[in-house]
Amino acid sequence: MLYYSLKRFALALLVALTVSLISFSLLYISSDPAIAMAGETATDADIEAIRQLYGFDRPILVQYFDWLQRALAGDLGQSYYFRTNVSALIAERLPTTMTLGVTAILFAITLAVPLGVAAAIRPNSLIDRIALFLSVMGQALPSFWFALMLIVLLSVNLRLLPTSGSDTWLHLVMPTVVLGYYAAPAIMRLTRTGMLEVLSTDYIRTARAKGLRPPVVLFKHALRNAIIPVVSLAAVQFGFMLGGSIVVETIFALHGAGFLAWESITRNDLPTVQGLILVFSLFYIVLTFFADLINAWLDPRIRIN
Amino acid sequence: MASSSKSEPVKIAAPLWGRSLRHQGVVIGALIVAMVVLIALCAPLIAPHDPYYQDLLARLKPPVWDDRGSWDHILGTDHLGRDYLSRLIYGARISLLIGIGAALISGLIGTIMGVMAGYFGGRVDMVVTFLITVRLSMPVVLVALAVVAIVGGSLQVVIMVLGLLLWDRFAVVMRSSTLQIRSMDYVAAAQAVGCSTTRVLMTEIMPNVVNNLIVIATLEMAHAIILEAALSFLGLGVQPPLPSWGLMVSEGKDMMLFEPWLITIPGVALFLLVLSINLLGDGVRDITAPENRN
Amino acid sequence: MKRSYKMPLVTVALAVGLSSGAYAGKSDDTLNIAFDRELESIDNYYNTAREGIVISRMVWDGLLYRDPKTNEYLPNLATSFKWVDSTTLQFDLRQGVKFHNGEPFDADDVVFTLNYLADPANGAKPQNNVNWWKNAEKLGDYKVQLNLKTEFPAALEFLSGPIVMYPNEYYSKAGPEGMALKPVGTGPYQVTSVEPGKRYRMKKYDGYHAGSPKGKASIGNIVIRTIAESNTQLAELFSGGIDWIWKVKPDQAERIKAQGQFTVKNSSTMRIGYLNFDASGRHSKNPMNDVRVRRAIAHAIDREGIVKALVKGESIVVDSLCFPSQFGCTSDVPKYDYNPEKAKKLLAEAGYPNGFETPFLAYRNRDYAEAMISNLNAVGITTKFEYLKYAAFRDKVQDGASPFNFGTWGSYSINDVSAITSHFQKGTKDDYARDPEVIKQLEIGDTSVDAKVRKDAYKAALTRIADQAYMFPLWSYNTNYAFTKDVDFTPTPDEIPRFFTATWK
Repeated sequence: MLYYSLKRFALALLVALTVSLISFSLLYISSDPAIAMAGETATDADIEAIRQLYGFDRPILVQYFDWLQRALAGDLGQSYYFRTNVSALIAERLPTTMTLGVTAILFAITLAVPLGVAAAIRPNSLIDRIALFLSVMGQALPSFWFALMLIVLLSVNLRLLPTSGSDTWLHLVMPTVVLGYYAAPAIMRLTRTGMLEVLSTDYIRTARAKGLRPPVVLFKHALRNAIIPVVSLAAVQFGFMLGGSIVVETIFALHGAGFLAWESITRNDLPTVQGLILVFSLFYIVLTFFADLINAWLDPRIRIN
Repeated sequence: MASSSKSEPVKIAAPLWGRSLRHQGVVIGALIVAMVVLIALCAPLIAPHDPYYQDLLARLKPPVWDDRGSWDHILGTDHLGRDYLSRLIYGARISLLIGIGAALISGLIGTIMGVMAGYFGGRVDMVVTFLITVRLSMPVVLVALAVVAIVGGSLQVVIMVLGLLLWDRFAVVMRSSTLQIRSMDYVAAAQAVGCSTTRVLMTEIMPNVVNNLIVIATLEMAHAIILEAALSFLGLGVQPPLPSWGLMVSEGKDMMLFEPWLITIPGVALFLLVLSINLLGDGVRDITAPENRN
Repeated sequence: MKRSYKMPLVTVALAVGLSSGAYAGKSDDTLNIAFDRELESIDNYYNTAREGIVISRMVWDGLLYRDPKTNEYLPNLATSFKWVDSTTLQFDLRQGVKFHNGEPFDADDVVFTLNYLADPANGAKPQNNVNWWKNAEKLGDYKVQLNLKTEFPAALEFLSGPIVMYPNEYYSKAGPEGMALKPVGTGPYQVTSVEPGKRYRMKKYDGYHAGSPKGKASIGNIVIRTIAESNTQLAELFSGGIDWIWKVKPDQAERIKAQGQFTVKNSSTMRIGYLNFDASGRHSKNPMNDVRVRRAIAHAIDREGIVKALVKGESIVVDSLCFPSQFGCTSDVPKYDYNPEKAKKLLAEAGYPNGFETPFLAYRNRDYAEAMISNLNAVGITTKFEYLKYAAFRDKVQDGASPFNFGTWGSYSINDVSAITSHFQKGTKDDYARDPEVIKQLEIGDTSVDAKVRKDAYKAALTRIADQAYMFPLWSYNTNYAFTKDVDFTPTPDEIPRFFTATWK
């Protein structure tokens, strides 16, 4: 287990480094960062001064290691737009996005796992068809459209929920549904196939033959095993969600990292964009790392392989 | 089909489920996709008006089923007085082009990487797996937005960016399929006879993974079309006056609360297309390889 | 089946939504406002957004105040001013004024603020606003002198608008960071809480000085929220969460007005749209270098039609590169009517009987740009259109990478031609004409304090610009405001809503 953990850790580290290199290079496929930083009214002398002050005149690889060194110490550089450090900015916005991400993944799981189990128990039944329909819908419905329709229906028309903002838990209902809905199909499908597979294995048949009550078989034995891959998928989906929250946060006026990302892109605030890509990626990397460990712990076959 | 040695009723029901419902799905999906393709191909023949012709005096005319509508513009006109039906018809071209283009590029990248990893294994496999992990850890929407914002949006840029970002599923599936097939007797036989690697790949491996390839390609096509709509919504999709459905949705969005048909018409078109591509892909997978449902 | 439900659903939604009145607002004496962007900082000198100017007028005061109706410079924190010579200004300051934190206002605050701004190391934004004076001196507890670098005719305009007074004791301790979180001024509203980028809460400042031309505020509380998506703003307005929005799209404004549940007002603004051509070949050798091509394009664009159908409101077609109310602006320049035939003839003369293809950049009003593209197509010019985010657009244009673009300019609401014509045509980064004659005239206009000399010089410059079609002015912009019927609010042409003059009905 220790060896496996170390190996996975080394891989995660390497992935993180590569991602950092890619997001760093983003700054350089655009125009000269010194010009962007100096702003509208700068003279050539100003730009040259900035270039030297920030070391943009050095070789890119040297700059990368310098940036990496500071990034490791938690310093992601200065935002072009705000007068603050990118790390502080992201730290300020992240809680909103995290809250939304957690509620959304919980929503997705509570929607998808029971549906997936039900669909597996009674394949081809009405509930199976509904599950299938919901999952195909989820892939085809553009999220911004879904979000705007919900606003029109639930807050303008029925006055059930507040339209935008994040003051109360009620404010989070619509964003959670929209964001969670897109993670649900994958989780549901995986639960369904997982259950189907487990239900057909020898030990479940043995358990049934022994006369154990169906719910015991289902939940104590089958679901426990079928849920293993779902855990890692949920982690993966959570990572994706952070990216998906851009549209949702923009529509529901949530001041999280997703909205910050969108605003920073429109403002050409590349250090912030860069920092956000890195932070979102790190989330994914850390989450999958832990998901792998949990899986290995639950299923010993994985770590031996 | 799948491990039929087991007589468990649940297991047998799975292909049944697939056969009855999913095959319906294939039929519906294929019909709609074929229709959209046909519309796209015959656009100049069936479009009642020039999709670029603007008439500022005839703006925002509602569709024919509205009291204020007329048969002259069956689906009404947009904010510049252009015929909505004609734009929708020509828009099918753009949206399909984006889907197909992105799927082709990502398919090429993903297949080469996946097949190489599965066939050669070892170091090659390690590198490819690593690249897949890196790719998966990057937030697609954010990276796509950032790149398009920096480079400037256009049809080519959108197709390229999506193509370069969506190859992961191809690589994953191609890798595992190749891995499976490589261990088959006939591949070993071909190798033993002394066929070159290229020959083995082209004649023995590729034909056997092509089913999976088609399935992933359809799903990624749908994915690309929906991502383009999201990019357009945020103002960074293809450039006007090209009528992509995503762009039409984003142009109609401002009037959503007042003239909902403006966003509903291209929205439904987009939804149906993506839905039917997904149905088709899912169905084909069920028929050919039910064990790969995920 | 599913589909057929959608349409009636949405249509019904609005009718129902509008039927019940707003639940916030007047009852708790709070006006809820939505802005579509967040400020980089609420500190007046560290943001460049229009929303920042709006807040600045509420929270702070300048030495003078320009009456938005008469354009007269009225005394505010200064009770009087006089020009000692053409580069020296003296002010007598108002006594008994207190900042929101209780700090008394006197000459030290003025001298501190002006000298702080004059130091480029402090990086106040935009530098154009603050780089024209050398320093300020204290002549007495309530008397200061401002020493200009050179003659600067727009001095009073700046001192009555963007240049506001900060409390010296507070600011020297708190700095821009402190000011951004807890702003302190002398203005009619004081900020009670700041959630950066998300929400600002303000309440009426009871101790506001009686002599101010702005007058005391009437509405007790103002809450400003950031909501980026315009549909969300509208949904909030309809459901009563927000009482006041602006920058409502023309088509939306028409519909809201027709429904009659909200007050919709329209006001012309100082912003004008323009086409900028690469006349001098700064980008490359291209058709735009030829004056006949530029004139052809001017004749090809149906400005009247676009204003009527798309821009709407109080917008007008403008013929010279400035907003009519700006000092020095004249419409007595060569004009180009909409005449596609003439355009085609000019193109043929220039050697393009079959037109040509050109890149075309824009950053806002995609619909206007599309309409113009269609006009251009009609005379044979095809475009490679690129719609960019403003930051990217500006970088590209200023780098000389655009032969042809559609831009807009709001002059920072400065009612003087120097804020627009000189910005674009005086050999600056945006200048693609680089005409020495134009540059010379603008230089004369920008530095003289003699009104007649200035007017003549600007007219010469504007005439040459129009004649050579270096830049082609299109139309003025307008802003739509939509708000609850409970509130009485009058927009001003400088696009700076003054909430301290708003009242409940």
